[in-house]
Amino acid sequence: MNKRRRLLLAVLLLLAGGYFAYNYMYKEHRDISSETSKLEISASYLLERYKTNDGDELLNTTITVNGLITQVEEGTVTLDSGVHCSLIDGSVGLVEGSKMTIKGRCIGYDDLFEIVKLDQCTIIK
Amino acid sequence: MKTRITLLVILLCSLSTLQAQGRYVTKSGEIQFEASVPSFEEVKAKNSGVSAILKSETGEFAALALVKGFRFKVALMEEHFNENYIESSKYPKSTFKGKIKGFDISGLSASKKEYLFVGTINLHGEAKEIEVPAMISLVDDCVTVSLEFVLKPEEFNIKIPKIVSSKIAEDINVVAVFSLKK
Repeated sequence: MNKRRRLLLAVLLLLAGGYFAYNYMYKEHRDISSETSKLEISASYLLERYKTNDGDELLNTTITVNGLITQVEEGTVTLDSGVHCSLIDGSVGLVEGSKMTIKGRCIGYDDLFEIVKLDQCTIIK
Repeated sequence: MKTRITLLVILLCSLSTLQAQGRYVTKSGEIQFEASVPSFEEVKAKNSGVSAILKSETGEFAALALVKGFRFKVALMEEHFNENYIESSKYPKSTFKGKIKGFDISGLSASKKEYLFVGTINLHGEAKEIEVPAMISLVDDCVTVSLEFVLKPEEFNIKIPKIVSSKIAEDINVVAVFSLKK
């Protein structure tokens, strides 16, 4: 009887260990659209911060950016000619000149085009 | 008559400078790399927001990838890639700067033509000279550049710990595609 109990306990422990190990190894990706943003900022000010080397702390954080759409491309929009946002749900129906508020993950400054890039973006309004 | 000729000369000159100032750009180039080992978890990531500029008169080419933009299927792998190997908080950018040897925009057509890219890759704070072949085609004012090459982690001072080294290939296959528009 005692032996059986021990065996059962060992099996249960193994299962629990396996469960936690699996959950650790295959944990979910961050869901940027459900995260609360760390900062709300205008697109032109965000660009200004990067140009004056004041943007490093924003890397990999979720932020909300507002501005006017200056360019619409496949799956992306550019706000105030300085913040390039890759949208999860694409850019169909968006028009240049309209005001937008977008939440996304800041992935850094692109000095080829002098723009700040955001990915996994969703439209707030 | 004289004024007509001068006008014509001016017109021709301005036309040729207009043509010479061709700058083809993209902000959504794709770079994918794979270092999978058979029968282990796939080690593969893709960045679909790579910037690139091609100056058509000189053949100069520059590309910039924000390293945080590389997405893996497995979240933990993405985390390890960023934190332990590529150290993307310390080195957020990876760049290529160089030239396409013998590039001539007028020689391009819809059928792919092979060219050689010569330049410097900057990754993880290390620079490396490379020479890689590329296929280039031109359709409707859109220059498509596709490259395939191999990089090794140690060339960029990226150390792979012994415990995982059997699960990550020594040669990392890189595939890049840029659709550059005027």
